[in-house]
Amino acid sequence: MTSKPTFRDEIANLLYASQGSPTNACIQCGTCSGTCPVANYMDQTPRRLIGMINANLKEDVLDCNTYWFCASCYHCTVRCPADIDIAGVMYAIKRYSIWNKTYREDLVGPRFSEAFMKTVIRSGRSYEPLLAPTYMFHFGPKEFFNEAVNASKMMLKGRIPVLPPRIKRLDNFKNMVKKIIPLGENS
Amino acid sequence: MKKFAYFPGCSLEKMASSYHKSALETTKYFDIELQELDDWNCCGATTYFHLDEILANTLVARNLALAEKEGLDLVAPCSACYKNAYFTTKYFRKDPELAEHINFALEEDDLHFDAKIDVYHLIEIFVNDVGAEKIKEGVQNPLEGLVIAPYYGCQIERPGKGVPESEDPSYFEDLISAMGAKPAYFPERLRCCGGSLIMTSRVPALDMVKVLLASAERNGAHVIATACPLCQVNLECYQSAVNEEFGTDFNLPVLYFTQLLGLALGIAPDKLGIGAELVSAAPVFNKLLPKEAS
Amino acid sequence: MTKDIQLLIVDDDPDYVEGIQTILVKAGYAVDVAYNPKEGFEALGNKRYDLLLLDIMMGRGAEGVMMARKINKDPELRKIPVLIITGIREQMAFLFPGQPVHPRFLPTDEVLEKPVEPDLLLEKVRHLLDLADEKNE
Repeated sequence: MTSKPTFRDEIANLLYASQGSPTNACIQCGTCSGTCPVANYMDQTPRRLIGMINANLKEDVLDCNTYWFCASCYHCTVRCPADIDIAGVMYAIKRYSIWNKTYREDLVGPRFSEAFMKTVIRSGRSYEPLLAPTYMFHFGPKEFFNEAVNASKMMLKGRIPVLPPRIKRLDNFKNMVKKIIPLGENS
Repeated sequence: MKKFAYFPGCSLEKMASSYHKSALETTKYFDIELQELDDWNCCGATTYFHLDEILANTLVARNLALAEKEGLDLVAPCSACYKNAYFTTKYFRKDPELAEHINFALEEDDLHFDAKIDVYHLIEIFVNDVGAEKIKEGVQNPLEGLVIAPYYGCQIERPGKGVPESEDPSYFEDLISAMGAKPAYFPERLRCCGGSLIMTSRVPALDMVKVLLASAERNGAHVIATACPLCQVNLECYQSAVNEEFGTDFNLPVLYFTQLLGLALGIAPDKLGIGAELVSAAPVFNKLLPKEAS
Repeated sequence: MTKDIQLLIVDDDPDYVEGIQTILVKAGYAVDVAYNPKEGFEALGNKRYDLLLLDIMMGRGAEGVMMARKINKDPELRKIPVLIITGIREQMAFLFPGQPVHPRFLPTDEVLEKPVEPDLLLEKVRHLLDLADEKNE
């Protein structure tokens, strides 16, 4: 019988279809951290995070902001000499933290993702003004004010739509989604 | 006439309508038709992939299937849309089981995707299909005296195409030279602008914008040229927020490469959507004016 | 008896797997585990199983659905009853709040939502095995 998977194995299982190498191929060279434009703001740099995954430090990995601060620019992935899809690893931990609700309460990222997805599933298109109220409550007062000022400036320049857009064949679109995520018996 | 299926993406509908307008005007100038996909959906930028990559690829595949139905290659002006379309096409070619499963869902909209078409970023159309020579020939008002920072951004060069030039491309610089302007030395040109973080991790995103603005300014750029609506909005509309956060005083116009190209081709500024900026593009025109007066 | 009845669990959650595996082994079943769809198909290729317990959210996303469809298309594998045990309603609830798993879009025999009562689990397993026996006779 196979032994119980470690946290590193769990991440590897999430990435079983990935083209990249598993995290244990990491040689801790730090190219990712040196490349990452957000590394300064992360609790743990990408190099450290991968080291922590390989050391099975599950709670510490899930507790840090690193993966939600990843901007998905793929620079680390492109440069990794061990061929690890590091941005893909970040995505995998994001999925893990949403599916298992282990993300930190103070982070806006997961709420934004959920709100964004919900808007698209309902209309086929994204729409900023509809999105904003769902996550802007998690902003500090300063960010909230900045965002509101910016939105009204853009509104004046005609850069924000007044009505939410939606696609024409929305029913087909929703049925398509249900074939992939089989939720929604009642709609 | 060359024809492509055109996937504008959500931001080009309003937020980046000037990119939409200028893309259509400049391609038309070179006899290239961009046929907008009928009933396209949002491709999810980066956020779907946080939740379910199969669903994310399905939503991207619907747009690709719409293009394939028309028998046309797909052009996306937004780097995030382009990256998604590029990746999904690649997955369809490499993973027939994933392709089969997604096609099973696409049946609900009478669609099917076989990954027979190719995906291009709008800038690739100008670089490869039009070419620098034809652009030079078309230029009516060379942008002489203007120093333009070529901002590639992250996702055009990042889908892992396996070309070594991805670390040191020069086609954007060549495009700027063809317009008669001078490309600024811009070592941060491939660095991410933080567009996907601006709503969720404000200060890091603003810091990323600051690094780019500082680099462009330090190297004497009069304007930054972008090829992505998320980069444009981030660099321009959040410039005042950067100034407030870090006590800087940036006032650097950020225009789409198609707007600058349009100006060089002699297309009227209002047809290129110029005038919707939050950071005035007047300095760009001031640089160009003395030459016109003489 | 149950001793030579072979079950396969395909689920990526080690703690959950440990839980139901204990229950099933105690009831006398022989239980193998795969933690991702690829390992799952490898196991199905190596041994004959009497029943498959399948999770939905794994790997890239809702891979359980993909796996159930693939099994359903295979003339041999489709004879194996499939019991879906999923926490998808919790995991992706924000998409269709309050709505259960859609049975029409799942080519499978039975769907149970996590958390599952041990008695109910054993009852469903027994029931599906009996149905399969009837079909084969």
